[in-house]
Amino acid sequence: MKINEKDIASGILLVLVAVVGAYLNMDHALGSARRMGPGYMPLLVFVILGSIGVLVVLIALFNGPDPMEKWTGVDTKSLIAAVVGGLIAWQIASRFFGEFFTSGYNGMGFGLLVGFLIMCWAEGWRLMGFVCASLCVFALLLEKGGLVLATVGTVVVASMADTQHVKKPLGVAGMTIFLVALCWWIFIKQLDIRVAVWPQF
Amino acid sequence: MELLLQNLGHGFVVAFSFTNLLFALIGALIGTAIGVLPGIGPVATISLLLPITFGQPATTAIIMLAGIYYGAQYGGSTTAILLNLPGEISSVVTTLEGYKMARNGRAGAALATSALGSFFAGTVATVLVAASGPLLTSVALSFGPADYFSLMLLGLIISAVLAQGSVLKSVAMVVLGVALGLVGTDVQTGQQRFTFGVPELSDGIGFVSVAMGMFGIAEIILNLEKPEAREVLSAKVGSLWLTREEFKRATPAVLRGTVLGSVLGILPGGGAALAAFGAYMLERKVSKGRHLFGTGAIEGVAGPEAANNAAAQTSFIPLLTLGIPANAVMALMVGALIIQGIQPGPRMVEAQPDLFWGLIASMWIGNVMLLVINLPMIGMWVKLLQVPYKYLYPSILIFCCIGVYSLNNNVFDVYQTVVFAIFGVICNKLKMEPAPLLIGFVLGPMMEEHLRRAMLLSRGDPTVFIERPISASMLAIGAVVLGAMLLPNLRKGKDAAMSG
Repeated sequence: MKINEKDIASGILLVLVAVVGAYLNMDHALGSARRMGPGYMPLLVFVILGSIGVLVVLIALFNGPDPMEKWTGVDTKSLIAAVVGGLIAWQIASRFFGEFFTSGYNGMGFGLLVGFLIMCWAEGWRLMGFVCASLCVFALLLEKGGLVLATVGTVVVASMADTQHVKKPLGVAGMTIFLVALCWWIFIKQLDIRVAVWPQF
Repeated sequence: MELLLQNLGHGFVVAFSFTNLLFALIGALIGTAIGVLPGIGPVATISLLLPITFGQPATTAIIMLAGIYYGAQYGGSTTAILLNLPGEISSVVTTLEGYKMARNGRAGAALATSALGSFFAGTVATVLVAASGPLLTSVALSFGPADYFSLMLLGLIISAVLAQGSVLKSVAMVVLGVALGLVGTDVQTGQQRFTFGVPELSDGIGFVSVAMGMFGIAEIILNLEKPEAREVLSAKVGSLWLTREEFKRATPAVLRGTVLGSVLGILPGGGAALAAFGAYMLERKVSKGRHLFGTGAIEGVAGPEAANNAAAQTSFIPLLTLGIPANAVMALMVGALIIQGIQPGPRMVEAQPDLFWGLIASMWIGNVMLLVINLPMIGMWVKLLQVPYKYLYPSILIFCCIGVYSLNNNVFDVYQTVVFAIFGVICNKLKMEPAPLLIGFVLGPMMEEHLRRAMLLSRGDPTVFIERPISASMLAIGAVVLGAMLLPNLRKGKDAAMSG
């Protein structure tokens, strides 16, 4: 057997995007070749995408082997837990947590953050979990908490992705202070972006 | 000719203004720094700095971003020679002979060759851009919508064919990029497409979010997976002077590299990396010192280094004259121009003479700066390598965050970036190249517009694409290129070239 697992997965992904896209595209008028409606080009694109996807899968049956990285049981479990936990956190936060979480994308962001942090339980997801979580922390903290707080939160969460950092909290503290000062100098002092520096109440 | 000199003179006046000089220097410095540092490339850096350029005048912004791109070509060779560690993909081949030279005690000569070769190639390429720009522009003005569509299609095909890995999957990534570009308001009818009622998506998916997520954040995650293997060097740089013998051997190699690099840079989908590989293969075949390859042949440094710098500059030609990005970095430049409210295309030379000629002049000035930055100050850059990645990546992350946010002052963009970071990691795991996607994403909306216009003009008759000679020849070239990739021999050759 010479199955190329990576290509099979890529092909399926492409076909999936094409099918979902073509389905969503049913809302748009196709028009004619002369006067193309908003749905004409998308249909064209998704048909091509789907065909390539099928072709990729077919060829993948012969041009392997190229196995995917194996997922451990913990990987799968934590991914499911992350999706479920994230969704629950989103719903709870945007319903019961008060004004901050019901406005804008904060409820969704909170759900994402919870999801990514749950993912970090599995060794295989730790890097992606912490890096993505740090971006969510930034998005959640910036507008109400100000640049300083957001920077601190992001750097601390991001540094958890590296095992060497976890052992040396002093190094992280030093780096955080340095980055807060640097960001303040570049973005507030030099570029003057419209962002609060300190928490807003 | 006189007009050219006059225009260039105007360009130098623009480029010599204090702000533009300063930002050319900043660009060159940042470019060298990220060139030296492995794990962060020009695509990630430029997408990182795009939001910051928002407040600058367009010319200054482009001058700085361009400086980063060709600066990275200089910086990348430093680590390749001294540490056997390519700072950029385009300097992978430099490690082959350059590091051997360093071990023979000729590190200084290798560095000098690479810097001087790059400088020479950069100068030639600058003149080439200046001369061919207005020429190509006048040709481009006679292009109809059908010709544009075919030209963009050709660009997409070539960029997919020349990308690393499977051609079919690269084509798929291009199409996927075009599909992502569909999101947003339909220009002609105003209908919302694939926006799911999210107001932020009505302007389309944020270009910076895609680039930063897939190239910046995803790269961080992938870099962290690999254990850090960076040894601090003890190699001595030695004398920077070349011996007469070395100079004699390097000169023709630089000339060949410059020509090859200039040509490969103009090609859609080409760029610095491809040019360096091509030049290396060429030198190994034709240079006088070809029997010395593998033991530290100076031609193996001179050729590729000249080629990658020449290509980094000539790849601006399709962008500046036709408005078509040749590679992912140029796609970012389109993004930068559009943020500034400038539609890249053939009218840019006339409508934005400051930008066009200022950029060209600044390229040459930037090359002079880089020569100074790199040769005498080499020790400083080597020290930069001692900054461990564990301190580097949180800094990159926080800059990404602030940059993405400040683009629209909206946290939605940050979440969007997260999505594309995850997507970038998935693509990497499935061996799908992200660079063609970015080009497709940028060209997609333009292609749709030209397709619609062409079909409207031809009253729905698709034969217009083969009736117009320009369009027909573009399509023919595209078909030939795609067909050629089906030949097993050629494909093997490409794979060999791409893996060095």
